[in-house]
Amino acid sequence: MTATILDDGRRRLVADRVLLTLWVAGAAAVLLLPFASMAPNRLVSGQPVMLWAALLPWQAWTAAGLAALLLLSALATPLPRALAHGLTLAAAWGLALLVLYGIGTYAGRAVTPDMPAARVSLGSAFWVVLFCAALAMLDAFQRLKAGMLPQVLYAVATVGAVAGLFALDLFDDLSILREYANREDAFAGEFLTHLALVGAALGPALLLGLPLGLLARRRAKLRGGLFGLLNFFQTIPSIALFALLVAPLSALGDAVPVLKAVGIKGIGAAPAVIALVMYSLLPIVRNTYAGFAGVPAAAVEAARGMGMTTRQVLWRVEVPLALPVILSGLRIVTVQAIGLTVVAALIGAGGLGTFIFQGLGQYAIDLVLLGAIPTIFLAVTADFFLQILVALSKPEGAR
Amino acid sequence: MIELQGLTKVYGGKTVVDDVSLTVGQGEFCVLIGPSGCGKSTTLKMVNRLVPLTSGRIVLDGEDVTTLPAEQLRRRIGYAIQSIGLFPHWTVAENIAVVPKLLKWPKARIADRVEELLALFQLDAAEFRDKYPHQLSGGQAQRVGVARALAADPSVMLMDEPFGALDPITRDVLQAELARVHRETGKTIIFVTHDMDEALKLATRIAILNEGRLVQYDRPIELMFEPADDFVRDFLGKADLGLKLLTRRWVHQYVAPAPWADRKASMGELRDIVASHGHVWLVDGEGRPEGLFGARLWRADGDPLGELSRVHPDWMATPDMSMKEALSRMVWRRILALPVVDEQGRLSGEVTMAGVMGRQSEGQAA
Amino acid sequence: MTQAAAFAPLRRGGGRGVLLVVLTAVLVGLVLFMEELEPLFRAWFPDLDNPLYRRETFLRLTLDHIVLVLVSSAISVSVGVAAGLFVTRRAGREFEPMVSAISAIGQTFPPAAVLAIVVPLAGFGFVPTIVALTLYGLLPVVQNTIAGLGTVPPATLEAARGTGMSPRQILLRVELPLAMRVIIAGVRVSVIINIGTATIGSTVGAQSLGTPIIAGLVGDNIAYVIQGAAVVGLLAIVTDMAFERLERRFTFG
Repeated sequence: MTATILDDGRRRLVADRVLLTLWVAGAAAVLLLPFASMAPNRLVSGQPVMLWAALLPWQAWTAAGLAALLLLSALATPLPRALAHGLTLAAAWGLALLVLYGIGTYAGRAVTPDMPAARVSLGSAFWVVLFCAALAMLDAFQRLKAGMLPQVLYAVATVGAVAGLFALDLFDDLSILREYANREDAFAGEFLTHLALVGAALGPALLLGLPLGLLARRRAKLRGGLFGLLNFFQTIPSIALFALLVAPLSALGDAVPVLKAVGIKGIGAAPAVIALVMYSLLPIVRNTYAGFAGVPAAAVEAARGMGMTTRQVLWRVEVPLALPVILSGLRIVTVQAIGLTVVAALIGAGGLGTFIFQGLGQYAIDLVLLGAIPTIFLAVTADFFLQILVALSKPEGAR
Repeated sequence: MIELQGLTKVYGGKTVVDDVSLTVGQGEFCVLIGPSGCGKSTTLKMVNRLVPLTSGRIVLDGEDVTTLPAEQLRRRIGYAIQSIGLFPHWTVAENIAVVPKLLKWPKARIADRVEELLALFQLDAAEFRDKYPHQLSGGQAQRVGVARALAADPSVMLMDEPFGALDPITRDVLQAELARVHRETGKTIIFVTHDMDEALKLATRIAILNEGRLVQYDRPIELMFEPADDFVRDFLGKADLGLKLLTRRWVHQYVAPAPWADRKASMGELRDIVASHGHVWLVDGEGRPEGLFGARLWRADGDPLGELSRVHPDWMATPDMSMKEALSRMVWRRILALPVVDEQGRLSGEVTMAGVMGRQSEGQAA
Repeated sequence: MTQAAAFAPLRRGGGRGVLLVVLTAVLVGLVLFMEELEPLFRAWFPDLDNPLYRRETFLRLTLDHIVLVLVSSAISVSVGVAAGLFVTRRAGREFEPMVSAISAIGQTFPPAAVLAIVVPLAGFGFVPTIVALTLYGLLPVVQNTIAGLGTVPPATLEAARGTGMSPRQILLRVELPLAMRVIIAGVRVSVIINIGTATIGSTVGAQSLGTPIIAGLVGDNIAYVIQGAAVVGLLAIVTDMAFERLERRFTFG
C-alpha cells in the first residue's frame, strides 16, 4: 500500500494531522498534568495523582492500547481511510469510557473505611483526554461526511453507556457526586428552577419577538430604532442589567403590596425573568426579520398573483420558508438564556448558578462544578436538539 | 376577452400609467412593449390588481371585475413572471396545483390537470412531478411557471417578461413552445417585454407604451407600416425594420414555381433553362432537390452554367419558416434562391432574393 | 444564514455620532466624579448609612476592568485571527472543520460557567480571570475570521491571482480588507462578552466594576449596585457604539 499522495505531489506519513494533534495534546496532558486529585478530607487541598497511578494495570494497558490504535489511524500507510475513521470512532469511544470507568474505580479504592472523608476530584488531564477523545470522534465524523442519523445513534450510544456507568453507582465516591449526594434535594430544586426561569423568559420573548420581527419586516421605518434599542439591551452586561432591575422592581413592590405578594419584588425571579426577556428579544426579532426577508420576493409575488390572500401567503409560503432561520434564533436564545440564568443566582433568583457562586465563595471547586457542569450540559443538549429541529424544519426542496 | 378602460396609476403625485385603454379579444396575444419605466409592467399588474388602480375599470368577459375581491380575480387570471417565483418548498406538481387547490378542486381532478399540463409543456410527468424547483434548469423552471399559471384553465393569462432571464437558445425554444400552446389552447394572453423581436415573433397585437401612455395599439404589420409617431418609428428601430418585417412573413407567402430538371436532362436543356431563369434545380428520382446550376454569387469564367453545387440540407426552406430565416440562409450560403420542400422533402417551389424584394415593395405600395 | 451574518450589525444613519460623544462624556464624568453625586444618592436612599461605594475609587475599578478586557481581548484577537488565517491557508485547511466546530460548540458554553471552571483550576485572581476571558473571547474572533475570509468572492481571488499578486499580497491587499468588517464584528462580540464576563470576575477574585455590584447585592446596598451597573453598562454601550462606527468604515459597497 502506498502513502497518501498530496496534490502537490509530496508523500507524507500522516494522513490526519488533526487527529495526530489531538493525540499529542492528550498524551502531553497525561504525562504532564494530574489525572485526579486526592485529599484526605474536604478542608485540605488535594494531592495530584497521575494517570498511571490512578488506573489499575489492566486499565492503563488498555488505555495505552487504544491510544496506539488512535495513533495508527492517524497515519497514512497502514489502513484505508474509511476503516481508519471507523477505528478512530471505536477507539475514542472506548478510551473515553475507560477513562470514566477508571476514575470511578480509583475513587472507590481511595475512599476506604479508614479514610471515609477522602475526596477524589477530577484533574485537568482527565478533562483534556475526554475533550480530545470527543474531538477525535468529531474529526472522524467530519471526514466520513457522515449523515445526521449515524451521528445521533453514536451520541445516543455514548450517552447510554455513560448513563449505565452512573446507574452502576460507579462515580458515587467522586467528590462532585459527594457534593451532589449532600444536596440532592437542593440540586433537583435548583435544576428545575433553572429550567423554569429559562422557560418563563422564552415564552414572553417569543410572544413579543415573533410579531416584532414580522413588524420590522413589514415596516422598514421601525427597523432601525427597534434593532438599536434591542441591541442596547443585549450590550449591557448581564449582571448589570439584572442589578439595575432590582432597584425599580423593589420600589414597585414596596409601593404596590399586591404586586409584592405575587412575587414582583427587587430580589428574586421577577427581575431575572424580565432581564432574560430583554436579552432574548434581539436574536428572536433579528432572526424572525431575517427569515422573512430571506423569502424569495418572486415566490411572494407569484403567490399573490395567483390569488392567495395575505394570510395564505403568510402561512403557506412565508412561514414555512422563514421557519429554519426563526428556529435558529430560538436556538441562539435558548442557549444564551441557559447561560445567563447562571448569573441570575446573584440576585437571588436561584437556579444552578446558586451552586457556582456558593462554591466560589467557599473555594469549593466541586460545588462550582456541580453547578457549572449541568449548566454546560443543558446548554449543549439544548443546542443539539434545537439544531436537529432547525434541520427538520428546512423544507425538503429549499436548500 | 378583457377590456382595460382608462387605467391610471399615480404614485406620490407622479402619474406612471396615464389613462390606458385597450381591448384584448378572445384568443389574442397582446404584447405590451416600451422602454424601461414606460409603465408596461405596472399596467399588467393593475390587471390582476397586484398594483391597486388609482382609477379605471377592468372588464373580464363582459363582467366588471374592478370591485371583485382581488384574490378572487387573481384566481381567474393566470400569472407568470420573469423571476418565475416557484415555491422552493413544494414539488413541481404541488407548485402547479396551487390555484386549483385554492379553488378547492377535487384531488383526482388536480392530479389529472397536473399531468395534462406537464404533457403540454413536454415535461415527462414521471420524471418531473416530484422534483423540487432547485433541481430544474432555468428553461424547465419557467415551463413549470407557465404551466402553473395555466393550471386553473384561466381564460386570460398575464406574463411579465417571462423569458427575460433565459439564455438565447432556451428563450427561442420557449417562445416557440408558448406560440404553440397559445395556438392549441386559444388563451387570451397579455405579455410584457422590452424585446421587439420577441414581440414580433409572438404577438397578434402590440401595444406600445411611452411615459405611461398608450402610444399605439395595432397588429404587428400595421405597426410597422404605419407607425403612429416618431417615437414608435424609433422604437421599432429604423436600421433593421425590413428584417423585422420579415419575421412576420412566411415562406409560403413568397413561394414561386421552381425551374427544375432531373438527371436525364441533357446539358443543352439545362443551358436553356439557366438562360431563361438564371438557375436550375436538379432533383433525384424521388423529386428531392440535390443540385443547383447557377444562382451562386460567383461563377467560373466563361461558363454560364458555373459549377454544379450540391444542395446542402441547410438550404432547404419549409413553408412555415419565417422569411427572415430564409433570407438569413440565402445570405449565409451565398445563393440567390432557396428550394422549398414539402414534408417528404420533395421540391415544391422556391423563394428567391428577387422575390423577397418584389413582395416587400408590393406591401409598401398597399 | 451563518452565525457571522447573525452578528452582522444593522446599518443605522447618522446622529449616533453625537450620542456616542455624549455617552462617553457621561461615562468619563461618572468615573471621575462619582463622589460628587453622594448627596444625590443620600437623598435617593435615605435608609442607607453609606450610599456611596468607597472601598476603591471608580477610576481604579474602571481601569482594572479595562485592563482585564484589553489584555484578554488583545491576546484573543491576535491568536484568534492567526488561527483563522492558518486554517484558511493551504497548510492548515485540514484543521478548518475542527476549529470551526470547536468555536461553534464552545460558544454554547455559558461564559459564566467557563469562568467558574477555569479560574479555580488556575487559582483565583487577576491572571486566571484573564486566561478565562481570553479562552472564551477567542471563539467569536476565530469564527468570524474564518467566515469573513470565506465571504471574499472566488472571482475576486481569481482576478487577484490573474494580476500576478503573490499569496501574501492577495492576503494583505484583497482578502483582509474585504474580510475586515466581519472580523471586526467578531472582535466586537468578543469584547462585549468579555466586558460582561469581567464584571462577574469580581466573584473569582479579580477586581472590576462588578465588585461594587456584588458588594451591593451581598450587603443589601442598592446604591452600590446602581453605581457599578451604571458605569459598566455605559462602558459596554460606548464600546459597542465605537465598534459599530469602526465596522462601518470597513463596509464596501
